[in-house]
Amino acid sequence: MSTAPQAAAKATLPPPPALVGIDTVLKQIVLLVAVFIALVPTIFMIMTALKSDDEYTFNKVGFPHALVFDHFDVVLFESPFFAWMLNSAILAGGAVVLSSAVSCLGAYAIARMQFKGRHFLFSASVALMAIPPVVMIVPLFVLYSRIGLISTYEGAILIYAGLITPFSVYLLTTFFRTLPKELFEAARMDGAGDFLILWRIVLPLSLPALLTLVVVNALYVWNDLLIAIIFLQDDAKRTLMAGISVFQGRYENQIPLVMAGMVIASAPMIILYIAFQKYFIRGLMAGAIK
Amino acid sequence: MDQTSRLKPYLYVAPLVALLLFVFGYPLVQIFEYSFKQIRGIDGPWIGFRNYELIFGQDLFWEAVRHNLMLLIAIPIMIAWSLLVAILLYDRLKGWKVYRIVIFVPYILAVPIIAAIMKKMFQFNGPVNEALRWLGADFLALDWIGSSDYALWTVMLLIIWREAALGIVLFLARLLNLDESLTEAAKLDGANWWQRVWYVILPQMRVVIEFYAVISVITMLSSVFAYVYIMGGGRGGPGTSTMVVELYIFGAIVRQSLPGIASAVSVLLFLVSLLLIVPLFAMRRRANEEETA
Amino acid sequence: MTKTTDLSRRRLMQASAALGAGALAGSAFPAWRARAAEEMTMWWWGEQELPGLQGYVDEVVKKYGAATVKPMLQDTAVVISQFQTAAAAGNAPDIQFLWNGIYHMESVWLGYVQALDGLVKDDVLKASQPTLLSNYDGHTYRMGWYPLPMIWIYNKDMFEKAGLDPEKAPETWDAFLAACEKLKSAGMSPVGGGIQDGYWGEWFFGHGLAQCVDSPGQAVELFTGERSFEDPAYHAPWVKLEELKKAGFLNPEMSSTELYPGIDLIVAGKVAMGESIGSRMPADSKKTNGKIGAMVMPVFGKSKLAGKPIFDTQGIGISKDAKDPKAAAAFLEFLQAPEQLKLLHEKTGWLPSNNTFDTSVIQDAAVVSMWKRWGQGENIPYVANVVPGQWYEQALLPAGQQVVAGKITGAEAGALAAKVAKEWRDFNPDMVDHYKKWAKDLG
Repeated sequence: MSTAPQAAAKATLPPPPALVGIDTVLKQIVLLVAVFIALVPTIFMIMTALKSDDEYTFNKVGFPHALVFDHFDVVLFESPFFAWMLNSAILAGGAVVLSSAVSCLGAYAIARMQFKGRHFLFSASVALMAIPPVVMIVPLFVLYSRIGLISTYEGAILIYAGLITPFSVYLLTTFFRTLPKELFEAARMDGAGDFLILWRIVLPLSLPALLTLVVVNALYVWNDLLIAIIFLQDDAKRTLMAGISVFQGRYENQIPLVMAGMVIASAPMIILYIAFQKYFIRGLMAGAIK
Repeated sequence: MDQTSRLKPYLYVAPLVALLLFVFGYPLVQIFEYSFKQIRGIDGPWIGFRNYELIFGQDLFWEAVRHNLMLLIAIPIMIAWSLLVAILLYDRLKGWKVYRIVIFVPYILAVPIIAAIMKKMFQFNGPVNEALRWLGADFLALDWIGSSDYALWTVMLLIIWREAALGIVLFLARLLNLDESLTEAAKLDGANWWQRVWYVILPQMRVVIEFYAVISVITMLSSVFAYVYIMGGGRGGPGTSTMVVELYIFGAIVRQSLPGIASAVSVLLFLVSLLLIVPLFAMRRRANEEETA
Repeated sequence: MTKTTDLSRRRLMQASAALGAGALAGSAFPAWRARAAEEMTMWWWGEQELPGLQGYVDEVVKKYGAATVKPMLQDTAVVISQFQTAAAAGNAPDIQFLWNGIYHMESVWLGYVQALDGLVKDDVLKASQPTLLSNYDGHTYRMGWYPLPMIWIYNKDMFEKAGLDPEKAPETWDAFLAACEKLKSAGMSPVGGGIQDGYWGEWFFGHGLAQCVDSPGQAVELFTGERSFEDPAYHAPWVKLEELKKAGFLNPEMSSTELYPGIDLIVAGKVAMGESIGSRMPADSKKTNGKIGAMVMPVFGKSKLAGKPIFDTQGIGISKDAKDPKAAAAFLEFLQAPEQLKLLHEKTGWLPSNNTFDTSVIQDAAVVSMWKRWGQGENIPYVANVVPGQWYEQALLPAGQQVVAGKITGAEAGALAAKVAKEWRDFNPDMVDHYKKWAKDLG
């Protein structure tokens, strides 16, 4: 359907009917297949969660005959999903706040101040985005064991904050650079100091960039498994991802129960995505630029 | 400029530098030291290049490397599929905006969650095989995660499924920024859909495709831990068929208490990622130039 | 470690502490908090395999008056590495959960664990059944906590349906194969479980290798290089597994099923025989109204250990960093007092590891008969507990999975095992001498 862009541009004109031909049908089919593939696991997860264990043994693919909500009861009230989510939320919140604060200060200096080593600091920080986290775990694990930071929120938050900071610095610096110079000059004329400018002018203007940052970074911490299993070994500090990696194995032959757990575990992100899909798409695309 | 204002920038970057030094600087220096030591617990004697000698002489290490390299096969498939879907979305057929939102869902779901779901779906008596048998394709009802012949491919399928979602959205964003007058001109010249895609659209997409390829290489070589950890039963099974470098490091430090060995592999992975930073930087610069041009 | 690197590390920590202080409360760093002198820490594991243990630990700690004990449940993956790293840093907990055999022996050799004889009363220590594999150089390093009879189980209903005697499990390999044949022709899966996570293969090897060695010491020598897995006498367990695979006796979903769900298949009547563990017996027996029977792995070997029930225990010990080893020992003795033993039974439904425990509290006949044979009769230690971690990861688990999947033969599994055993010697030269000495201790 080659004239579609044109049709969209000139919205007042209806597309000529002759163009709804075989190739449009074919394209629609391919797109629907893509949509189907993208959704299959989610559909399977939700449908299975609503089946009874018995039904699942003979009906693995089809719709549930009778909806069963018991598994959600078990997940919500008899397993520590909420505690896991709370742990994940504490870590994500702590790391995002710490990293954002540190990055805002740093990025402001890099973008708006003159000092020696400015370019080096920026390039080095950007380069760190390509270093896989697994490379850092051995020394940090040894160090944390020595100083008793294993299985503490503070310790894990520090690591997560560090891992997400290069991207924060990159994004904020490039954004701060796009802000018009006049803005700063005018503020300075009014006698505002750097910190005041950053706090009162730059940050409010940077809200979209900051939101993008929060989405990408919070999602990174929330979804991480590697750091979580190595540095949070206390059962009470287990994160959602570490929790479900155990959960999915323990109830392997009660697959509907496992799927109910997965529904609960993915619900927060899916709800946030539906509500804020623009920020998610923009944010994760920016995040890919790492 | 007085003394305080000369110092001020350094005060602003001090927390940043401290954080980066702690999480990146210290470990990156330390892995080199550890990699030359035979470490028990937290320290041990210097042993020169012995750790490197040992891992280079070990089949399992090379197998892990080979598996990471095999995952690179997924990249052309991811690119082709993402391009196809992105270009079709760009045609703005009825419903394309909804499609776009749905198609990005795989990238929103956490890897451990989808890996756990896929693992159940691909069980020998799971729904995928049930569906295949129902369709009469019994020969395709393989032991997807239980057989060492297929397990890595199954993991790859999952990776493609998730990472292609990013590719689609990335490519579509680029397409929506294209100069449409070129496609219009081609259309006036009588070029059909394929010709326009091939001669007009794809050349303009080169940079974003290369960029996606480079970040995908980084993903395949160094960020597949969560996929493999869940799908391979935590140990890269069945057998050692889904063992990858990250899991090797994890096993060496956590399960075998060999921080020296783990550090030597970390050093190698670090050097490889350094090599990848160069094209990544070049790519990003070109992407930026293209955007500003 | 030299003083200077120590110093620079400390300085680095100070820098990061200053950094953290901005965003986090400085008091939140536990390392800087002074610990009360009469406070003890205890890192433990077991809730994962014995639900209810957490409740027991919480209550015991509350009851104990002589000191404050702070328990922390560890994650399965890191029980050893976390302890060893902390011990190397001088921060080990006072009391540490210890798996049997090499899983704590390595820490013994590194000097991280204290000998218990002399600290804990002799009779208490003996009664706790730490087993032979807790001994090194004349000392005992663990106190038993709760027992793990290593058993095979079979489903009596399925035996009946196939025309087999439900009260008589096969004892020899030939009788076992005959039973499998009957079950198979009756349309049932004769033997198996789940090996996706690999542990099933460890258990099979542990049961099987006992039939190939005359003492645990001989098993240790497979790693020091004095004996080799290339020798058919020692890779026989995998050859037997291959035999089961080739005959089509293993359940088809075995490769994509994990260990415990695999055992559930036997309980659910979908697989007739397989490996299990004693602590599951009360629940499994109850679920099936006594239709689950315990058996010893059918005998194919002729060694001195063949055909004897295997008995293992989980245990606890005292670390070198214990501030007051006597106080820690007093707590361990407290755990072995009759009231606490009874409490463990109440909270978990399982038994404590103590041969003076009054077993009349057990109601289930199947559990009683299992306990008589495994816990109180003549038993042998679990030889799979002597294998090094690296070999376990890189040879034992993969070999079992690959034989079950039909990818390699038993002999090829032996070749892999021999190769990885050699690699282990290369990677861990400091451990080999300890292994040699241990082999002598274990006869």
